[in-house]
Amino acid sequence: MSFAHDKLLEEVQKSLEAQGKGKQALSLVVIGGILVETHISLGHVDAGKSTLMGRLLYELGRMDERTRAANERNSTKAGKSSFSWAWSLDGTSEERERGITMDVALESFSTTKRQITVLDAPGHKEFIPNMISGASRADCALLVIDASTGEFESGFERGGQTREHLVLARSLGVAQVIVAINKLDQVQWGKNRYEEICALLRPFLTQSGFHPVKTSFIPIGAMLGVNLVACEGEDAKQLLEWYQGPTLVDLLDKLEPPARDITAPARIPVSNIFKGQGSGISVSGRLLSGVVQVGERLRILPGDETAVVKTIEVEEENVPWVAAGSNAILALVSVDSVQLAIGSVLCPPTNPVPLALTFTARILIFDIQVPIIAGAMVELFHHSRDVPASVSKLIATLDRASGKVVKSNPRVLAKASSAEVQITLRSTGSSTRPIPLEPYAKNKAMGRILIRREGETIAAGIVMEVLG
Amino acid sequence: MKLVNRFVDKHGTGHVTLRPEDDEDMWHLYNLIQEGDSIRAPAIRRVQKISSTGSVDSQRVRLNLTIKVTRVDFASSAAPSTAAPDDAADGSSSNQANATTALHISGPVTVENQHVRLGAFHTLDIEVQRDVRIEKFEGWDSVALARVNEAIVPGKGAEVAAVVCGEGTAAFCLLSQHMTLVTHRLSLPVPRKGSASGATQHEKGLNRFYATLFESFLRHVPYSNVGLKAIVIASPGWVRDSVYDYMVAEASRRGDKVLQKALKDKVVKVHISSPHVHSLVEVLKSPEIVSQLKETKFAREGIVLDKFFKMLGTDEMRAWYGPDHVVLAADRGAIGTLLISDDLFRASDPVTRKKYVGLVEAVQQKGGEVVIFSSMHESGQQLLLLTGIAALLTFPLDVEVVEAEEKEEAERIRLAKEGEPDGG
Repeated sequence: MSFAHDKLLEEVQKSLEAQGKGKQALSLVVIGGILVETHISLGHVDAGKSTLMGRLLYELGRMDERTRAANERNSTKAGKSSFSWAWSLDGTSEERERGITMDVALESFSTTKRQITVLDAPGHKEFIPNMISGASRADCALLVIDASTGEFESGFERGGQTREHLVLARSLGVAQVIVAINKLDQVQWGKNRYEEICALLRPFLTQSGFHPVKTSFIPIGAMLGVNLVACEGEDAKQLLEWYQGPTLVDLLDKLEPPARDITAPARIPVSNIFKGQGSGISVSGRLLSGVVQVGERLRILPGDETAVVKTIEVEEENVPWVAAGSNAILALVSVDSVQLAIGSVLCPPTNPVPLALTFTARILIFDIQVPIIAGAMVELFHHSRDVPASVSKLIATLDRASGKVVKSNPRVLAKASSAEVQITLRSTGSSTRPIPLEPYAKNKAMGRILIRREGETIAAGIVMEVLG
Repeated sequence: MKLVNRFVDKHGTGHVTLRPEDDEDMWHLYNLIQEGDSIRAPAIRRVQKISSTGSVDSQRVRLNLTIKVTRVDFASSAAPSTAAPDDAADGSSSNQANATTALHISGPVTVENQHVRLGAFHTLDIEVQRDVRIEKFEGWDSVALARVNEAIVPGKGAEVAAVVCGEGTAAFCLLSQHMTLVTHRLSLPVPRKGSASGATQHEKGLNRFYATLFESFLRHVPYSNVGLKAIVIASPGWVRDSVYDYMVAEASRRGDKVLQKALKDKVVKVHISSPHVHSLVEVLKSPEIVSQLKETKFAREGIVLDKFFKMLGTDEMRAWYGPDHVVLAADRGAIGTLLISDDLFRASDPVTRKKYVGLVEAVQQKGGEVVIFSSMHESGQQLLLLTGIAALLTFPLDVEVVEAEEKEEAERIRLAKEGEPDGG
């Protein structure tokens, strides 16, 4: 079954309207961070993101009793019983051994009104590239905060990951955020503690560009399952004394999916490649815009190859087509696996993404110690790809509010300033491979970039013009 | 490199004969030889003879040719030659075995002999263990002589091997005093974890990656070479630990005693923030490495460059870059440390070279320190991106104030000049 493109659009439109009355789909990235040393062996260093998601999946019936029991048994055997909930998301042996999330885990569940794809992002500083890859696939964020004494502060102060994660998520286009204050059970469900944290976070969220209307706060106890689906029982007693608000699931139901651009040409940045069932290669990624249907031929960029979509899988179900905003798994045929790499972009052959070696961008510089000068070495992050690059030219510093040029050809870019710069990719090996990029004005999701240096995010920006 | 002889008088005229021994020497020669110089080196040339009957007889003749340089080409190919690790076992000869760099010098012949006419073009392929005589067109300046002195210090070759790896990617680098050679790059797709693919594919992919990395390690890292001081395994996350553990396990499984010993004695694991080759700069800054390699040139370069960036953050008025600004700072005697890339001395225009040599000499005269960065190192590459020249000043100077002063000065001179003809 395949449609002509305009017919397909009509069909998609219709079904999306129907969906609007029923369950709306959206994806949610779970973020939050901690301040940790490079080497940690054991102990609770995390805010409890994976534990929260594991528990939530269980409460909503997405994880069966058997899996839960198996995780509990095995984690107890390994002497890490407190990680039993997290194990359902932290699947690799290394993650389990170290007790932290290293790569993004993707799960899905549905509440009464929403079909939600969850991306459980790592909180550890080392794995921010993976967190970026996850956050660039999401519409909304769930920020998990560790309320226990000292932990929140260390995660929030300079160098802590909470700030960086929030700023990153916002820079990647995430506009709605739920702040879940976790581990309140460890501070005896203190109302003061909860309010203290909220008061500290609120100005920061606004400052980072999150609209107060689109942010909400909620106290939870993930390990005990308090206030996730329901707020009742013995464990919740202390909380109920002062809290009568919504549960986490109630808040998830209220998240608004952003407008999707289905008429634009299709763009899928590949975030994972693996062997699917049967022959062929499966890739997973988020459709940023447009629609893709089974049987369609897609161009793989960078490169000269194309592939044919054999099946499309969304939420573990085969579907005939997929529209912008969905995280899908595409099974591709008539292509060799060497043509695909994590970070490649799939697009229609008639409307390819421009390839860029040099481009101009407007960037917002974060709180950095060493200013940026022309020729500075950086790493450029765009969806799941990171490449070495240099800031080749400082074109102008801009006024943060109005975007007007303050000074042309500045010598240095200091912290917290806004600027227009030219960025050039650096060669890896004998030749430099260009990467697919689109100006922000043409495709918002394809035009967002992040700039990091020596393990620290120094700027976020949007692509203005691809110079070739 | 061996110095065969040197005849240079105090004015800088004369010639130097050198015998290159390894890759790095080729790099030195590339930096020494400039357009216009006279080079004498052995060459093989095809000579055609037309006999009286008109038949053409072509012969390859080995002869010494002297040419006037019009072009110098340096190529360091990342693809390694067939050097096996076995060769590396016998010390110095390994350097010849895996010579991966080539130096070609072309120009017209300036000394005639019975086979080659004057003015005929020839391209000399500089080979190891073949003497090269260099006569400078502009005379030997201090920078060139310093380079010769540096080049003839014996006992070199690759000093540090580094494996920069991430999940699924690895780059093998050999660092010597003046060069970083990326001998091999590796990139394997490792499926990421995910409910769809399951954890097993991820683990399988990782194991395949470790196995490939191990094989490449054997081939590209001369781990048994006594001159090799350290083998650095650098990565973000914990990849380096897994890689190291895998290699140790694999070496003991194969019963490779030499490798086991090398892994135990030489491996240093260093944390870096990204799996790209440019993170080597971070490696050279890390305390584990600095303490071991303080004396080496590349570590020194890394430290100085880091100092410059830090200064830029703390006191912008004491960290200047760009040729024009640095010259202004030098005029004011403000330079404490001059960072300059050797790329600038390779300028084909002798005037430009002279300008930079003059600058170096001026700074040295005033007691400043000069660090000449090798553009074959990562730190040198980064300096090149910053125009190739930078300086740490001894006292703060405001660029804008200095520029304004210069403008005033220029204006004054112009006015004075204009005034002269009026007066006279």
